[in-house]
Amino acid sequence: MNTLPKASIKSLVISCVVSIVLAIFILLIAVLPAEFNIDPTGFGKKLGLTVLAQTDAEVEKPAVVTCPETTQSIDGQTETVEWPDSVMITVPARKGLEYKFHVNKGDKLEFVWKTDGASLYFDFHGEPQGNTTGYFKSFKESTQSESSGSLIAPFTGSHGWYWENKTNRAVIINLKTRGLYKIKGLM
Amino acid sequence: MNLTHKNTLYIIGLLLLFFNVSCFAHGVDSNTEQFLTTTQGSAIVPFLYIGAKHMVTGYDHLLFLVGVIFFLFRVRDILFYVSLFTLGHSFTLLLGVLAEINMNAYLIDAVIAFSIIYKGFDNLNGFKLLLGKEPNTKIAVLIFGLFHGFGLATKLQDFDLPQENLISNMIAFNVGVEIGQCIALLFILTLLGFWRRHKSYFSFAKTSNTLLMTGGLVLLGYQLTGYFTSL
Repeated sequence: MNTLPKASIKSLVISCVVSIVLAIFILLIAVLPAEFNIDPTGFGKKLGLTVLAQTDAEVEKPAVVTCPETTQSIDGQTETVEWPDSVMITVPARKGLEYKFHVNKGDKLEFVWKTDGASLYFDFHGEPQGNTTGYFKSFKESTQSESSGSLIAPFTGSHGWYWENKTNRAVIINLKTRGLYKIKGLM
Repeated sequence: MNLTHKNTLYIIGLLLLFFNVSCFAHGVDSNTEQFLTTTQGSAIVPFLYIGAKHMVTGYDHLLFLVGVIFFLFRVRDILFYVSLFTLGHSFTLLLGVLAEINMNAYLIDAVIAFSIIYKGFDNLNGFKLLLGKEPNTKIAVLIFGLFHGFGLATKLQDFDLPQENLISNMIAFNVGVEIGQCIALLFILTLLGFWRRHKSYFSFAKTSNTLLMTGGLVLLGYQLTGYFTSL
């Protein structure tokens, strides 16, 4: 029933080699990075395909919603309550992120944060300005669902939290701060 | 060439007829049945749909079918081979679900991928050239049909079927699979029919089947990676 023209061992071998090489190429460049996040060539990442291998919850982007706690008083003037800066930070499932403030040496950063339930691993730390060695000083490292306190910056630089969400669901943190600092935000 | 074209039209007509008839019959039947059985928790139409959708979007089954009918030009041959395939996969679909045979979906899908490679290789005359004779294609299609059925069974088992109405739901799924296969075959045969009128069909036969093998190899790699990463 086969009517393939000019079938020969040579052309068969060529067909087989071509299909194997092509299949390996497609697997390495596209299928494995996109389906399994296996990316031996690094091309999958360059093409942005590895994003597909993450589950829906993981694809969720880290998000920050600023919500300064201000209230409108009756006479129309803005009255600032206790915490001038308040943000909602979404930590996607199985992801970690950093939220930083620039604080000068000796200035104070007061904070209180709380998650919407789950405990997060966190590292509250500071990196001296201009330091490129990757050095950082850790102030507090723990796994909690809330924390509060104040920091007198031991050096000028970037201070803040690294939160890691080890659960399978996105966790929202409400972080409130006051003091002398500049918000650098999500890193 | 003209004869081939006529044949193709004939096939399409036949399939249309069958498809319409079966669609109509099952449509009415299943609607009535759904009405009658909703209270008992059976879901004929959803399972019909799931079966049909699985086949229409099941590129592994479709690639194998393309391979099988690639060099079949006579209506009788096409119907015969497709029937063998249907017989094979229906048998193991019912057996797999009823006997609660739990197979690893990745490994079954890997065998299905292998069936595509086999058919591409066979179409390239690989077996004749290497072994001097080709394995009996009828038996091969039947045996691979059996594996495709186990693949379908694992998909159906994913739904955590309730024991009551198991048989009707399962048969609905099976009928859906055949409807889906008819729809897919219509498209494939229409396209192949047009292409077969041109000489390029034959000069590209080698390329086509090389690509078919490539598709099978990619699927094989995909399924095996899935299996090993899921361990």
